[in-house]
Amino acid sequence: MKMMDCRDVLANLSCYVDGDGSVELRKALEDHIAHCRPCRVVFDTTGKTLRIVLDVEPFQVPLAVSARLYTRLERVLAEESPVR
Amino acid sequence: MIDQRKSGEPGPEEDDFALADRVLKGERRAFEALVRRHERRVFRVTLAVLGNFEDAEEAMQEAFVKAYRNLGQFRREARFTTWLTRIAINEALQKRESRKDYVSLDESREIERQFAPRRTESWRADPEKLYGKQELRQIVETAIQGLPAIYREAFVLRDVEEMSAEEAAEAIGITVGALKSRLLRARLMMRETLAASLEEPPTLGKQILHKAEGIGISVALRVMRGVRG
Repeated sequence: MKMMDCRDVLANLSCYVDGDGSVELRKALEDHIAHCRPCRVVFDTTGKTLRIVLDVEPFQVPLAVSARLYTRLERVLAEESPVR
Repeated sequence: MIDQRKSGEPGPEEDDFALADRVLKGERRAFEALVRRHERRVFRVTLAVLGNFEDAEEAMQEAFVKAYRNLGQFRREARFTTWLTRIAINEALQKRESRKDYVSLDESREIERQFAPRRTESWRADPEKLYGKQELRQIVETAIQGLPAIYREAFVLRDVEEMSAEEAAEAIGITVGALKSRLLRARLMMRETLAASLEEPPTLGKQILHKAEGIGISVALRVMRGVRG
């Protein structure tokens, strides 16, 4: 595989963080980031970003929102059956 | 208010198909178990599409009512959650398009423009210790809310809800290629925003360098003034 420049490497960032792509592609990406500090930081911190996002479990349903949903559904469930 | 612990409560092992069957056989209350299981995802995806809590709440309610009414049409070729997510996203997309302030992006042009990362300092080792989970969640939520809608929805479906690229693309009604382009850009934007809070502070070496640059500039200014004066 030909030498990749930073632009090519960045375009394949998702393959890297998702663990997709061919062995050859991953090897080319790893060769590049081993020698290119800015790309290495971007790859590493994008992976960290995704881990943090999952860890913090963003956007809980606010209690009041949930309560209003159940109230609405209670009415619908009492009055209607699903269409078969 | 619906009692959260009714008898006949499904165990975690009871799958969505079995619950849907119970609803269709007349046990309407089994639908509540499906709602409890999926309300968070439905809320997140409607919020991702619409960007504000009020609209997301309305779309969520409509989505669940529609899912209940149309449960008989659920064909079980897909998972229940995929079917429900599609209903929720359709509801949210319709709502967004009907909004007076909604301006459709020129999406292709938006995607072609490459996003170049600017912050390339390493990050601190333990962000949770630095901020605590609550504060870190706030940082993440603000960053997600700050994404333009087309990137936000791609990001939430893939990286918060962990749907496959194919599922996410189908749910939004775009190609897998377009989904991946948007996702790449969304991830880079998220990284950039989080970097503002999580980058390493400048090392002593860098601080000295910056000071030296500052001194250099002030010396140069003095020399220039001297030359002029």
